Parts: sequence; structure tokens; C-alpha cells
Amino acid sequence: MITPEVVDTRRLRVVTAIVQDHPGVLSRVSGMVRRRGFNIQGLTVGPTGVPGRSRMTLTVDAGHAEADQVEKQLDRLIEVIEIRDVTDSPKLLRELAIVKVSVTGEQREQTTREVQGFGGRLLAANEALVIYELSGEFESVESFLGLMRPLGIVDIARSGPVAMTSLAGLAGPEGE
Amino acid sequence: MTGADILLEALEREGVDTIFGYPGGANLPIYQRLHAHPKLRHILVGHEQGAAHMADGYARASGRPGVVFATSGPGALNTITGLATAFMDSVPLVAVTGQVASGMVGRDAFQESDVIGCSQPVTKHNYLVTRVEDVAPVLKEAFYIASSGRPGPVLIDICKDAQQAECEPAWEERIQRPGYRPAFEPDLSQVERAAAALARAERPVILAGHGVLLSSAEQELIAVAEKAVVPTGTTLLGVGAFPVRHPLSLHMTGFMGTGWNLKAVQNADLLMCVGMRVDDRVTAKLNDWAPRAETFIHVDIDRSEMGKNVRPHLEVVADAGTALRAMLPHLVPPPASRGAWLTQIDRWREEHPLRYAKSNGHLQPQDVMIAMYERCADEAIVVADVGQNQIWAALWWNYLKPGLFINSGGAGTMGFALPAAIGAKFARPEKAVWCVAGEGGFVMTAQELSVAVKHQLDVKIVLLNNFCLGMVRQFQDDFYGGVRSEVDLRHLPDFVKLADAYGLAGIKVERAEQLPEAFDFAQRTPGPVLIDFRIDPSANVYPIVPLGAGLNDFWEQPDDYA
Ligand SMILES: Cc1ncc(C[n+]2csc(CCOP(=O)(O)OP(=O)(O)O)c2C)c(N)n1
Repeated sequence: MITPEVVDTRRLRVVTAIVQDHPGVLSRVSGMVRRRGFNIQGLTVGPTGVPGRSRMTLTVDAGHAEADQVEKQLDRLIEVIEIRDVTDSPKLLRELAIVKVSVTGEQREQTTREVQGFGGRLLAANEALVIYELSGEFESVESFLGLMRPLGIVDIARSGPVAMTSLAGLAGPEGE
Repeated sequence: MTGADILLEALEREGVDTIFGYPGGANLPIYQRLHAHPKLRHILVGHEQGAAHMADGYARASGRPGVVFATSGPGALNTITGLATAFMDSVPLVAVTGQVASGMVGRDAFQESDVIGCSQPVTKHNYLVTRVEDVAPVLKEAFYIASSGRPGPVLIDICKDAQQAECEPAWEERIQRPGYRPAFEPDLSQVERAAAALARAERPVILAGHGVLLSSAEQELIAVAEKAVVPTGTTLLGVGAFPVRHPLSLHMTGFMGTGWNLKAVQNADLLMCVGMRVDDRVTAKLNDWAPRAETFIHVDIDRSEMGKNVRPHLEVVADAGTALRAMLPHLVPPPASRGAWLTQIDRWREEHPLRYAKSNGHLQPQDVMIAMYERCADEAIVVADVGQNQIWAALWWNYLKPGLFINSGGAGTMGFALPAAIGAKFARPEKAVWCVAGEGGFVMTAQELSVAVKHQLDVKIVLLNNFCLGMVRQFQDDFYGGVRSEVDLRHLPDFVKLADAYGLAGIKVERAEQLPEAFDFAQRTPGPVLIDFRIDPSANVYPIVPLGAGLNDFWEQPDDYA
């Protein structure tokens, strides 16, 4: 078969979905991902402004499947109300990271200034340990963690990314 | 009303007349109220898998959802193979399983199992009902989801306390499912481009799948094929969607399809697939499938099928009938060059006819099929099992009308045929129903014979007995160097005695001369009849594409043997 060319074949897909927040909906979504041979790299769920509806952001490796199958298969789930593959759309992607490091004295002050330079902040501290938080794009979270690593990371918690399409290209007052 | 009564009344409101099921602790409240709902006929089965296949056969023969009852734990789990079979073939079922009381869920109570978790991958949707108030709306929605869009099985797991509790049911007519969009209007620009491409093509082929039958679009398919003059074949599940003896018929495609079909697919410059998944049994080696096709048009109701296996140039996401009807006015007669394509296909039909061994002294399965077809012509429903028998039943019978061939094409579930034939007979009592099975698959669900006997169903069982797991034996012979492993079935019971033990008539046939007499007997004898045809143990299915090869490489019946 002389197959048509597919423009967007990136394996790692970012998909946002509005779902009915029924019990078990998370297992339906993750079950579909597993069954189809995809692999979840990040999954966040939170409430929306509408009662009974949650918003999910999934970062999914399409595995050996065609890239557009991630969105198409998840759309088959009855409880998925709206779904968009935003991999290629202009969007805002944010992730939250909280890190516990052992840093003291002079070095602690220096580090805190650098973290603030990234847009992060100090959440808590005692004699031995400090907890910093940073929210940002994947790259800035990564370089923030790069800064932390040599200090001796005691614990890390990362939220996984959440995504929203940006205002670019939107019509109406919002987009102007 | 109790939850049990609400459930049963909801079934009546959905127009259900037959339920296939089995009672147990967790669905007893429902069974104890059955007598109060005389419009519902309950068929007590031998095994819950049988109930699911009966409901499946019922649904395929009638077009209405089949209904299954089972208790919690093992009862519900026994339905899973049947649900998976229906799911793979997009058959509408509603399975109602009992679950332990809601307060006991998660405590490993007696006969508790996570039926929602287990059935999730093999159902279109499923529900855990813990409150009596939810019984009526969930039932309504389950029937809607099972039978709309791309149909499929839906399971409702009802906790025992919800069956027993009482409430005033709200018979809500509206269904609120913002995330469920079963039907799409076809994109007309795509439809028009498809029609134009069909007219332009030099060597077009249409393939039709189960979706055409599910959408009752056979007339539309014939109209499109005739107006655009396009040779048309079907998948195994689509057998009957296009009349086998139509001059444009390519018969069956896929890795056991006919030689002229495979030649046509491999040489086509345009391929239009309607209501099918384009799975590996259709394409064989994917990279070698339809290598000369420049245009692939995919018509299917399920958007996720677009590009799942083969990326289309034109996609029409719609019900098969709707799409074909939309296409019809845009079709124009083809260029004169089309004649050459049709001539070429006729030549392939002559060069690669269906053939079989005739002269080795054994009873040949194809002779059995041909004799059977002569008897019941174009009216009987044939329900086949899985294996060689399934392919013989698909190829050696002239399906001129839709809906007369039922088989487990997607899941390939051995043991499907007998219960599905029973279900089909309950759905269409006026139709002759023939069950074609190998002895291996037959014994997997043979306990359901007692259902046929109890209800004196006119189901005629054509056992193609080759004393081995024929299809596996053929694979071992053809593709695994002839090393036979665990395919010998000489230890199975004497089927005439088995029939006798169950209380139905059974006869044995060993020679072709006995065929007319045997079929006379079957047709003359009321109620179920089993015929144990002792067929050639070395009979094989041809054509066949070797495992891993492309469609071009199909093997035919060896010459020295014909
Ligand atoms: C439940 C199940 N188990 C195993 C198989 C694999 N299988 C496919 S065909 C076949 C042989 C079937 O033998 P028989 O029922 O005697 O039919 P025949 O091929 O001889 O017509 C087997 C074992 C299957 N399809 N289903």
C-alpha cells in the first residue's frame, strides 16, 4: 500500500481530557492505555469548574501504535466527554516539583538565591534540611533538579505535567 | 418495587423476550421474582459461557441485544469468554451479574470477584450498581449503549442489596451521556472524493465487513458496487454482506480467502473497506498487503479504526449504510478500461478456483457442505465453530442473502457454535438452523445439548469429525515441518452415544453415498439431530497463506491430491 504521509508521528503525546468523575474512571483510562500497548509517563487529575467533571492531562508514549491512536482509543471510553491531543498545539505545560535537600550555612543562602532566580521558593527549613518548590516547564524543572542533585537530594515529589492550550490563535476577547 | 422487579420490568420495557442465564446466591433475588414477569422467558443453560454465546447467537440472528444472567464470582467469570467473543465481533449484549452486598464489596466475601475489573477490557461499558435507585436508569442506558453506534456487550454488576431494596423507579427516557457520540454524519467532501476516486480507478476493489451486516446495508453495498462497477469481496465476518454468486463477487478475503479475491486485492489500485477493522487475518503480512493500491478509502463507524492498522487516504467515519447512501448519487459509470479489470478477475477465478480432494475414498467435508447447501438453499442459518469447519462452512456454501452465516471471527472462540446456534434458533424459530462444528470445539460446550433437547429446538448439528484438532494439525503439517503435537482426538466419546445420552437423535455417516439419506433423516426428524460425519482426517483448508507471509503467497490445494 502506498500509504499517505503522516505529519505528526511523535511518540510522546500530550493529551488533555474532560471526564465524568465516576468511580473507576481512572482505571478505565489507565486500563485502555495498558491494553493498547501505550505507556503512561505522566498523569494528573483534578476537578474542573463543573461539578462531576474532572480534567486529566496525560503524557503517553504511543508505543508501537500509531501516534493518533492514543487520543482515538481514549475517546472511545463512554466517560470521556472531551479529549484533545495537544502535542502539536501551542500550549502551556506546567509541572510542580518539591525537593528536600540537605544544605546548610553559606551554601544554603547561595542555593536559595539561585532557586528564587528560577522562580522557585523555599517552603520549609530546619538545621539540616531545606524544602524547595518550583513550578515550571519540563526544562526548567529539570534544570532546577540539576541544581539540587549535587547538594544531596533526600526526597523528590513531582506532580507530572498539566497542560492547557495557550491563547495564541483563539478568537474573541480572551485571545486578543 | 424491589430492585429485582425494577430490573425485570426494565427488561420488559426494552422489549426483551428471552434471557439466557444461571442462578446463584448473588442473583437469587432476581430469580425469585422471575415468575412475576411472564413476558420474560428464561432459558436455563448448562454453563454461563453457553449463556453468553446463546445471547450472542440470539443477537446476531435477530439484531436485538441478547441478555445474560449470571451470579457473582465464578458465574460472572464464566461469561467472560462469551463477552470477549461478542466484543471482538461488535455484537450487542447486556449481561446482568449478581454481586455481593455493597457493604461486603472489597472484603473477599464468598463468591466475590472484581467483575467490573475483569470485564472492563472485553465490554463496551460496564456498571457497578450499589443503589436501587440506579437500576432503572442504568438498564436503560446499558441497552442504548449496547445497541447504538458500534454495538458491543455491556455488563451490569448489581449488588445483592440493591436487588432487594425498594424504591419508586424513575423510568427516565432521556439518556445523559455527554461523552457518548454513537453516530456521525459522514463528511460529505470525503464521500464525494471517494466516489470520484472509485470512478477514476482502473483496478478498484471493495471489501465489506461485519459492519455492513450490522447496519443492514447490503442493498446499499450492491447498489454502490453495481453503479460504480467494482468487484466486491467480504471478510469472514462479512460473509453474506455481498451475494457470493453476484458477477462482481470476489467471495472471501484474508489469509484463507479465495485465490481470485487475493489476486484482486494484491493488484488493486484502489481499495475501499467498509465496516471492517482491516485486521491481521485480512491483511496477512501488513507491509505486503495491497502493494499496488494508491488509494485506500476506509468507511467505518468507529473513528479509532482509522489508521489503527492501515492509514487511509480518505476516511468516512459513519455507519456503513449512511455512508454508502451518501456516496450513491455521486457515483458515475467507470471508464471503459474497467472491462479489462473485470476480465482479469474472471481469469483469476478460472485459474484459482476453490478445489478439494475428491478421490481418496474418504468422505470430504466440502461434499458435506455442498449436500447441505442443496438441501437448505438460501434460507437456513449456518452457525459455524472455529477451525477448519469454520472456513469450509464459509467457503463451500453460497451465501446469497445477509445474516445467514454466524461465526466467531474476531475472537475465534472454540465452543461457540452449539450455544450460538441455540440462541439463533430461539431468536428465529421459523428458520432452519444448522450448527457446523469440529469435534474439538463441540465438546467444549456440548453440555448445552440439554438445552436444545429440553426445548425441542430444531437445531441440526453437523459434526465434521476428523478425530483431530484439524486446523492445528494442518498448521503443524504445513508450517511446522509436520511435527504433530497434542492434536490427536481419538479419545473423544462416541458422539452417537453421546447424543443418545442427552436424548437427541444421532447418526453416523462415513461415505458420500450416505449424505442424501443422512440429510433426509435430519430434516425429517423434529427437534435436535446430531450427525457425526467421519470426514477425511487429512482434509485441509485451501487456499491458505503461510504464517508470516503476504497474501500473494497463498497455497492452493495440492494438485496430486485433487
Ligand atoms: C477456546 C480455544 N482454544 C484453542 C483454540 C485454538 N484452535 C483454533 S482451531 C483449533 C482446532 C479446532 O479443532 P476442531 O474443533 O476439531 O475443528 P477442526 O479444525 O478440526 O474443524 C484450535 C485448537 C481456539 N481457537 N479456541
